[in-house]
Amino acid sequence: MEVKILRDVLATNEAIAKENERLFGEKKIFVLNLMASPGAGKTSFILRTIEGLRDDFKMAVVEGDIVSKVDAERIREQGVPAVQINTGGACHLDANMIKNSLALLDLDEIDFLIIENVGNLVCPAEFNLGETLRVMILSVPEGDDKPLKYPLMFTESHVLIVNKIDLLNQTDFDLERFKNVVRRLNSDMKVFELSCKSGEGVEDWIDWFKTRLISFRT
Amino acid sequence: MMHELAVTQEILSIVLAEAESNGAKRINKVRVKVGEMTAVVGDCVCFYFDIISRGTIAEGAEVEIENIPIEARCSACGKVYRASELDFLCPFCGGIGNLISGKELLVERIEIDQLGEGSGSKDP
Repeated sequence: MEVKILRDVLATNEAIAKENERLFGEKKIFVLNLMASPGAGKTSFILRTIEGLRDDFKMAVVEGDIVSKVDAERIREQGVPAVQINTGGACHLDANMIKNSLALLDLDEIDFLIIENVGNLVCPAEFNLGETLRVMILSVPEGDDKPLKYPLMFTESHVLIVNKIDLLNQTDFDLERFKNVVRRLNSDMKVFELSCKSGEGVEDWIDWFKTRLISFRT
Repeated sequence: MMHELAVTQEILSIVLAEAESNGAKRINKVRVKVGEMTAVVGDCVCFYFDIISRGTIAEGAEVEIENIPIEARCSACGKVYRASELDFLCPFCGGIGNLISGKELLVERIEIDQLGEGSGSKDP
């Protein structure tokens, strides 16, 4: 006998993501889902963002990693609450992991939450967490051909951070060609070019994000 | 990749729940639709399904994957076209394309033997 089902495989995750979204909405928390390859500079980017916004907003960080607590400790040193999720081998965070981690944070004391996804450009793009904004980082040494290898990440993200631009003249990364390819995949994507190391370009990102945060909260 | 395991676990749990509510004693076939834009590799799903279905009524079931091509509708001229996963722009006018298919991940249907039914086709 044949049984028709037609059920979305990710429906369970989507349902929990919706619950998270509702909770974030109630608490007026802006949630940024940050995705990138290992070593692209996710933690440095978070530290820069903390530095630029700490005087105006209360923030917290959820750190996803396969093992280890190193990243969360670097965030806590800044006086920002951080929860570490060890996925125990899974290559992405899912909505349920986020839901569980929220119990460890005081949600009334948070204006925005950064979720640092597991270092990977493939599957984090598939799993909605209930976030407000999806931000991806691509660093210059990774090469300008990445959209051709991981198109879904580029179509699902709202913001693209091109990090480590201080290395542009030491690589054959072609910024214009790269931005052209990105536009073909996602014409709405907002692109920031910066270096978390030198600080160049960071202010543009901070100003833009601050404006988003203010309009979100009013 | 590891995420196919999570996806396959979800497929198995959907399939088992549906089979149970239809009084199945055995699942012979599972049909899954996978959009070409997803990062889900069909062969991995089949491989994991074989392993994690052991000891359930889905053990030994054939998993059939149907790939769904990426299609977009041009926001300027309205034409629908087959898009490449690397370029969504309209081939007719260069306008911006909006995806209308290619991100699916669906359990479409299953084939089962019901309790009290004779031996399934796979039994001698």
